[in-house]
Amino acid sequence: MTSWRLFEDIVNPVSTALGLSIDDTLPLSLSQHGSPPILHLYVFKPSAIVGKYQDINAALRLDRCRHREIEFNRRSTGGGTVIMGPKAVALGLGITLDHPGLKGGINGIFESLSAVLLAALGDLGIRAEFRPKNDLEVRGKKIAGLSASLETEKAVLFHASLLVDFDIPLMLDIIHQPPLKLYDKGYSCFSQRITTIKEQLGHDVDMGTIIAAVENAFSQRFDISFQADEPDTWEKKSIQEFTTARYTNPDWIFSHKHPRSRMGVSEVKTPGGLLEIYLALAGNTIEHIMITGDFFSTTKDINLLESALKWTSAKRKKIEEHLSEVWRDEIIYGVSFDTLTEAILQAKENLIAT
Amino acid sequence: MATIKGYNMPDELYYHEEHSWARVEDGKVTVGMDDMFQKEAGDVVFVDLPDEEDEVEQGEVCGKIQSRKWIGKLCAPVSGEIVEINEDLEDDTTLINEDPYGKGWILVIEPSDLENELGNLMHGDSLLPFIDQEIKRTEEEKAKA
Repeated sequence: MTSWRLFEDIVNPVSTALGLSIDDTLPLSLSQHGSPPILHLYVFKPSAIVGKYQDINAALRLDRCRHREIEFNRRSTGGGTVIMGPKAVALGLGITLDHPGLKGGINGIFESLSAVLLAALGDLGIRAEFRPKNDLEVRGKKIAGLSASLETEKAVLFHASLLVDFDIPLMLDIIHQPPLKLYDKGYSCFSQRITTIKEQLGHDVDMGTIIAAVENAFSQRFDISFQADEPDTWEKKSIQEFTTARYTNPDWIFSHKHPRSRMGVSEVKTPGGLLEIYLALAGNTIEHIMITGDFFSTTKDINLLESALKWTSAKRKKIEEHLSEVWRDEIIYGVSFDTLTEAILQAKENLIAT
Repeated sequence: MATIKGYNMPDELYYHEEHSWARVEDGKVTVGMDDMFQKEAGDVVFVDLPDEEDEVEQGEVCGKIQSRKWIGKLCAPVSGEIVEINEDLEDDTTLINEDPYGKGWILVIEPSDLENELGNLMHGDSLLPFIDQEIKRTEEEKAKA
């Protein structure tokens, strides 16, 4: 049976600089240092981490982060902001692209690794699903997010965050969010889009139990065993280099300013009720979208539509293309495909100050 | 214009195994990402490109490309100096999807060893086994999974 290395520490929350530097070292160690795959399971100190290409000033209220002593940083993988802390399992995996059991292609890799986390959640008694392209959900609510980066030859860094418990009021305070009219509405919007292991099971769960489920799911899927380990001398040097060059370096943390980061909003009266769109854009890319109002639909369907549009182009042709991938009649009762498309385009034009 | 297994792979181009393409014109090499990459990746949402006057080696990672939450790499198909970057990509990265061999070009290299290095790239008939292999690998892994 093949053996993988396991770096595990869920007892001592780590700084973003250390956790992310270890993760960046994982694929490097495979491609340059001859290491077998490495799984890193850990927890961060309370922190907000943006994706590689996000504008951190546009994504986060840094004054609030500082006031609340929430660390902020930028990871090397794609996607949006994640709020991490002792109640969110952070997972970094360095694995070669041709590893047996790993599906080929970008989507295949996400599917393969999602399957592992779905099995782990299943083991805990939670029936989750893979929401293409990059999230795991339970009845339409996100419970885990996935992202990846290919920086070295043939070895990929895969990141996942698994929500054990989540502080929505904290998130509402530290991220730049659409100016929803009422705090309660903001809370409601996010609570309908995010769930946690604790919420699904109805009680607290020991972190050790969750970690064991994740390890077991990897072992089963890839037919491997784990060898508990820690970074060796070569890897420690690499970790220190990443810490210096990236995760304590303002040039890295504050890179990728998007002069055209902005938010837009639209309100459209439809036969199905009021339709409200909140849009966060970086250049011409939709970073985040919220479809809300007093129409009739399900949380799952709304999240399906939103997910189809996140991290895609905000051009009309692309919006139509991505909506049509998931659209079906009466997915939003009384709101047509064209009406929704036009409302999104209106939000793109109707910019608001944040 | 050749279509191989549903992918548009123009005959006149040279291809790197990491899916960048090279077009030789007037001694310079225009570079982009091929149709197989853009179909697999989906909408390109960010590109991180080198600067003009940077020197690159054949096969070196000289740029990053994000689609959805995946960050992939742009490998230089030939060595040389980067002499031009497609600035239109700053406004619209999906040009790489919509017109990968035209408006979606990424950069131009002034090659330093073109004659020798072209032989390391795939061209014409050598492309078919590569595409076959890429498709087969995906299917095999899917079957295993």
